[in-house]
Amino acid sequence: MSAIDLSDPATIAVLTDALIAAGVDGLEITKAGGHLRIVVSKGEGARVSLIGNAQPDFSAPLVAIVKAPMAGRFCASHPSAPAEAEHLPRAVSDKDVIGFLRIGFVLLPIPAGRSGLLTRRLTEPDALVGFGDPLCEIEPLQ
Amino acid sequence: MAEPLDNTASAKQRFDTVLIANRGEIAARIQRACRELGLKTVAICSEADKHAPYGKAADGLICIGPSNAAKSYLNQDAILLAARLTGAGAIHPGYGFLSESAAFSKAVENAGLVFIGPEASSIATMGDKISAKRAMIAAGVPCVPGPDTSLPGVAAAVERIAQEIGYPVIIKAAGGGGGRGMRVVPEADALHEAIALTREEARQAFGSPELYMEKFLEHPRHIEIQVLCDAHGNAAWLGHRDCSMQRRHQKVVEEAPAPGIAPDVIHSVGLACVKACRQIGYRGVGTFEFLYENGAFYFIEMNTRLQVEHPVTEMTSGIDIVHAQIRAAQGEPLDLRQDDVRCDGHSFECRINAEDPDNFLPSAGLITDLALPQEPGIRVDTHIHAGYRVSPYYDSLIAKLIVHAPTRAEAIAKMRAALAATRVDGISTNLPLLRALFEDEAFARGDMDIHYLEQWLRQRRTA
Repeated sequence: MSAIDLSDPATIAVLTDALIAAGVDGLEITKAGGHLRIVVSKGEGARVSLIGNAQPDFSAPLVAIVKAPMAGRFCASHPSAPAEAEHLPRAVSDKDVIGFLRIGFVLLPIPAGRSGLLTRRLTEPDALVGFGDPLCEIEPLQ
Repeated sequence: MAEPLDNTASAKQRFDTVLIANRGEIAARIQRACRELGLKTVAICSEADKHAPYGKAADGLICIGPSNAAKSYLNQDAILLAARLTGAGAIHPGYGFLSESAAFSKAVENAGLVFIGPEASSIATMGDKISAKRAMIAAGVPCVPGPDTSLPGVAAAVERIAQEIGYPVIIKAAGGGGGRGMRVVPEADALHEAIALTREEARQAFGSPELYMEKFLEHPRHIEIQVLCDAHGNAAWLGHRDCSMQRRHQKVVEEAPAPGIAPDVIHSVGLACVKACRQIGYRGVGTFEFLYENGAFYFIEMNTRLQVEHPVTEMTSGIDIVHAQIRAAQGEPLDLRQDDVRCDGHSFECRINAEDPDNFLPSAGLITDLALPQEPGIRVDTHIHAGYRVSPYYDSLIAKLIVHAPTRAEAIAKMRAALAATRVDGISTNLPLLRALFEDEAFARGDMDIHYLEQWLRQRRTA
């Protein structure tokens, strides 16, 4: 089994997403080279602390991926919303709706889940998506 | 065969896209059958199976939930939603998961889709062991001695039933199956404690405390009869299998036909199974499971779905059971008569499991390299390939190795060669165990019962 680099921002982002998805409040991993602690605080996104030799390179932004909570057809905005609602990038709060899943006549709102800058959509409008498919990217606000 | 009834609402249902509500080798097997019949397929997957090869080969693929089966492959609503989103006209449940759920069959039909399997009422009848036994007795299928009613609550009445059957007896949960929810009672002193324990187990595991009692057979073989029925009242039995090689009620090796059983004896049992299917209005494929001891058959349960071991019957009968199952669901009349069914040669199936061959712990991980035999008379049903990652979330079955030869001895020799040519690197498998089993003399003689494999394993451990 390959060793996990706990200082890798991508690894930290994946672990953070997994914690949020599973409804777990936090995680601590201790290895010979260091100690990683991720605490998920409600509404504020994740707080990461890392102790040890290896330090994460946070110069690259920690991008969060918003994933589909179930299967459906992706809509970037509500059908009645003005076109500018789809404009990117734009700042969002954790409760903002950043898209919908259309299932028959039902539109399921997709919340951002964290505050930040909605930078990119990863799914074409009206594409069929499954559970866990990436929909959008949110970067932290500088 | 009976005269066609052609009076069911589902007799003429057509579809061109099948959603396969399963995973692993059986998803790949069903996909192949659909292709051969000119049908499109939609694969569903959990997050753990997103990269499975049958997903890439399907006309549509949709992830329905996380790796936990309860939230994906057992999530009826997610599966129906996937069918709706992809425009599938039918759902094939495969085996395991929701394949024997009467509620799922009904929900599929209520959604205006075709369930490739029996109607909910048939599944419900056969899923309850007491009502199944009652239906079998009515059709003249031989059953294990014991009443076809649930056990009364009065202690004296229960004692009387046990005395009439004769010890040892076995207490079983009416809603149980798969070897769970049962307890053997060797003598009268242990009766009431066994009932109390099994009743509580049944209540917790199956949601019903209902129990029944039967004679416990000490050295039976496990024999199955495969049936095939259409929606017009036509039915046939396709042959018999011996699935006695079991460990903890899980089959390891299966063969067809069952060795050493007189054709006239099995013939009458097969016809009784067909009669039972007609009586309960059964549609699709199904398997009657029997215990066989001292030349007599005793019905234990019916599996209202495709079996893992269906390939050995396909090899000896020449009938593609999955094709037939799909055609029946499309409302086509059965295109064979009982007299057309033949049993040619002998077939074995080995279940290759990703598990430690000594302690049977599951072995998940990356398959780094793979060699599978490819010769006439050898078939491998699998979804794995070099680079495939075996998930820890599901059943450990990764492949089925099936052989066919003119005689049982030749089939054993062919299986030995096939097992020798099979290699799965990167994870542990039960291949060493299977190779050793096919060198066993008693197994080669066909001299085994359902306890043989467990005894053989114990002897190997102590040797």
